[in-house]
Amino acid sequence: MVTAVRDDMFTPDVIADPYGYYGRLRDEDPVHWNETYALWVITGYDELVWLTRHHEFFSSAVFKNDPRPPYPAIDESDLGLYDYVRNYQGDQFIQHDRPEHLEMRRVVHGYFTPKSMEAWRPFVQKAVKELLDAAEEKGRMDVMRDLATPLPVLVIAQMMGVPEQDRPYVRQLAEKLLYIGRGEYDRMKPLTEGMKGMIEYVSPLVDERIANPGDDFISVLASGEKQGVFTRHEVLVNTSLLLLAGHETTINLLCNGTLAFLRHPDQWALLKEDPAGRAKLATEECLRYDSPVKSIQRIASQDVEMRGKAMRKDERVRWFISSANRDPQKFANPDRFDITRWPNQHVAFGSGTHHCLGATLARVEGQEVFKALAERFPDLEVATADLEYQPSITFRSLRSLPVTWQ
Amino acid sequence: MARKLRVRVDHDVCVGNAMCETFAPRVFRLDENRQSVAVDPAGDSVEKILEAAENCPVSAIFVEDAETGEQLFP
Repeated sequence: MVTAVRDDMFTPDVIADPYGYYGRLRDEDPVHWNETYALWVITGYDELVWLTRHHEFFSSAVFKNDPRPPYPAIDESDLGLYDYVRNYQGDQFIQHDRPEHLEMRRVVHGYFTPKSMEAWRPFVQKAVKELLDAAEEKGRMDVMRDLATPLPVLVIAQMMGVPEQDRPYVRQLAEKLLYIGRGEYDRMKPLTEGMKGMIEYVSPLVDERIANPGDDFISVLASGEKQGVFTRHEVLVNTSLLLLAGHETTINLLCNGTLAFLRHPDQWALLKEDPAGRAKLATEECLRYDSPVKSIQRIASQDVEMRGKAMRKDERVRWFISSANRDPQKFANPDRFDITRWPNQHVAFGSGTHHCLGATLARVEGQEVFKALAERFPDLEVATADLEYQPSITFRSLRSLPVTWQ
Repeated sequence: MARKLRVRVDHDVCVGNAMCETFAPRVFRLDENRQSVAVDPAGDSVEKILEAAENCPVSAIFVEDAETGEQLFP
């Protein structure tokens, strides 16, 4: 039974420690009706896996299929802006169900296979080396600003053929798009500015690749238009989506993972014994222990029962990766950071047909960063006692992570 | 005579992405947990099976020659 769990998920204590709040829900009421936001909160591992693998019951077309105003509430005069957000989000391939989702995913899936991503490893290694060279020379580093942000931006921009001088601008737009997971009542303004800015920015790039296709990822998306799978607006929106998704979540993996190591000196010592050999499983544990994405939403596409609770068609369902990855029924000593854990069936990338398209790329970037840090900065330490997180229910994002070394 | 294959899906890593089912629908089927099972390694061509294995986003599919034991994927 739930002993009056309060339903506000945007308060500073829940943002600072999602594991306490969602962990308690998972243990007491893993399929919980949140009255405040009128949505189901799914926090158990088995429940999450079942839900994500039954896509026929839970629609991913969240924006198209949800007639209600956004939560938390927004300024009423911004409802017009919200319509723009719905149209924009609705054209993302991840906001579709089968059969359209499969058709769209097939356009982009082949670009991200484990084998093709492995070919990018040398590029990632070189980029990590250059960023760490620069940090070493300066003698200090904010892992967020100097490593975790520039690395994935560099990689995805390279894949998409975005000119180097434009990358800071793309990052600025991306930061506005992150308002999607936040609670401020006036968030629609920066959010739509980011969306419109992205569309405007990628339009000429897409035009050019449609005329002269290359081997970059925008050309892959553009080929979807030629095949009749994507409209032009869908190509533009998905180019923007991949630019954002291709780096935002990896930023969090790199920062949260580095922080986990520095807070667990025994595991940091273990990684340093054999960085190349241990980086792979260690990255999986970083993904599990402090996952980059906290939660994702669906809409029930029919009446469905879960754990004896009756969910009705069109109700919102939000599933929480953070609590599922700490579920004691799935993981032994779930709150322990253990970089040798295997098997490690975490759900940091979701599961089922919508499993993260860029998972392998994120893994490669994580492995190379943790390996290089262990090799080059063995006495790394967190330089502050006050770490703050962005007030998002979607992303687990530090604002900064300053570190020092001898 | 077509080459005989042994096809295995590692359920410690399979996430039920179901792409294998799209590439080689007569070989791969989802079980009651929505994880992939190789129900008939002779159901589709070797090319299709290797394509399915390569497109598995978590590298859960292992393919070998049933007679020689030669590993064909990964």
